[in-house]
Amino acid sequence: MTAFFKEVVDILVKYHGYFLQGIGYTMLISLTGTVVGLIIGLITGIVRTIPQSKNPVIRGILKVVNAIISIYVEVFRGTPMMVQSMVIFWGYAFMNNGNTLPLIPAGIFIVSINTGAYMAEIVRGGIISIDKGQFEGAYSIGMNHFQTMINVIVPQTMRNILPAISNEFVINIKDTSVLNVIGVTELYFFTAKISKMTWAIFETYVVACVIYFILTFTITRLLKLAERKIDGPASYTINEMPAAAEEG
Amino acid sequence: MDKIISVNGLKKSFGENEILKDINFSVSRGDVTCIIGASGSGKSTMLRCINLLEEPTAGEIIYKGQNILKTKNIPAYRAKVEMVFQSFNLFENMTVLKNCMIGQMKVLKTDKETARNEAMHYLEKVGMAPYINAKPRQLSGGQKQRVAIARALAMKPDVILFDEPTSALDPQMVGEVLEVIKNIAKEGLTMIIVTHEMAFARDVSNHVVFMKDGVICEEGSPDEIFTSPKKQETKDFLSRFMNNR
Ligand SMILES: Nc1ncnc2c1ncn2[C@@H]1O[C@H](COP(=O)(O)OP(=O)(O)OP(=O)(O)O)[C@@H](O)[C@H]1O
Ligand SMILES: [Mg+2]
Repeated sequence: MTAFFKEVVDILVKYHGYFLQGIGYTMLISLTGTVVGLIIGLITGIVRTIPQSKNPVIRGILKVVNAIISIYVEVFRGTPMMVQSMVIFWGYAFMNNGNTLPLIPAGIFIVSINTGAYMAEIVRGGIISIDKGQFEGAYSIGMNHFQTMINVIVPQTMRNILPAISNEFVINIKDTSVLNVIGVTELYFFTAKISKMTWAIFETYVVACVIYFILTFTITRLLKLAERKIDGPASYTINEMPAAAEEG
Repeated sequence: MDKIISVNGLKKSFGENEILKDINFSVSRGDVTCIIGASGSGKSTMLRCINLLEEPTAGEIIYKGQNILKTKNIPAYRAKVEMVFQSFNLFENMTVLKNCMIGQMKVLKTDKETARNEAMHYLEKVGMAPYINAKPRQLSGGQKQRVAIARALAMKPDVILFDEPTSALDPQMVGEVLEVIKNIAKEGLTMIIVTHEMAFARDVSNHVVFMKDGVICEEGSPDEIFTSPKKQETKDFLSRFMNNR
């Protein structure tokens, strides 16, 4: 047992720079990927819930756009991210005379569009689960569809899907490890590298395991706090100020 | 002859079901029209057609001389002909104050300061000024409905449509909401109110419309409808209604 801990300490002392760099890229790629994926999800979600238009041209355009979104969602949810990484990375090289994409942007791109496909469904589910009365309340005071979405529906959707967003983020922190197939220097990439240098394979991967867990656990907690913050205080404060003073 | 809204030959079908069959009536400025009738007679559907939340199958709705079924700018029309719902439909993500400001700011493009003052003015009027910081989920039904009325008033509408504003409320809260509606009626706002509160209808309205099976069966002054109805259907409805109370 002491041998184990001694080895772990040795690894940390010698290679903490690699681990830190790996953590940095893993977090950069998974955070950016989650945010961009969410933006993709919000845009597709808003587009897919536009009510039927009477104008046949607009209706036709929407139909095509919706079909494209559906294909995108199905394809990216239906194939492994590891395979997508290879196809996108080497596909780009294939079409550009063997020039490859820079690795970190490539990683961010892959995680973003992959997450976007999941977020598209999460956001759509979030929007359709909002009570129809919220839309009607907004329409009835004269808001158009876009104003209704931005001011009323999206904020409520965001609150409702926050647990799912948190889940996606955690999945991304872990799944960014598949990007090592194209050589992205994230945490798993460095772990593998260190293990090959030390041959203390078990110890190195235990360290990586603990690091991954600390990352995901922290993120989960932080987003739980955010949920509570959005919900606001459980009770309200009575406004004592008389209106006369208020207006003056 | 200052008709603010006229409904001509209005029809509405959901699939095969014809719910509204040729509705004709009109409302003058300052009128308080109550619409009564049995459950399922099409009262809500008619009100929702007037607010364009449902698209009529046929007919026309004339607002200030224009057929609004032809209008391109539905939001602008809705800002003038507001709707208050049975289920309140307050924005759950906003405080009471923000609920009454958002429409002014986004639709009427009022500046924040003015919107706030206007919102406070109407919240005061419905007795909800102390609760401006509350979220809808922290309020009782009666309080929510009063906020919803303030939200509609803050848009300075020409007409407010009420769809059973007290039906979702516990009996002890019905009174507070009806009182608020009575007060704004006194100020001369044009209103169309679908209600099952017969005493209130009689008290507040100057015109009563009785609907049955998707048509207007009888209409007239409150006295004509409640004291001396001409149609047998109206008599039957009112007597059944009184007996059920
Ligand atoms: N979206 C819809 N799709 C299909 N049928 C509908 C729809 N909305 C209403 N209906 C039908 O239209 C008829 C009239 O409904 P409506 O809600 O207008 O009645 P109402 O007079 O308001 O009744 P209540 O007093 O119970 O509110 C009912 O038979 C109802 O089932
Ligand atoms: Mg109804």
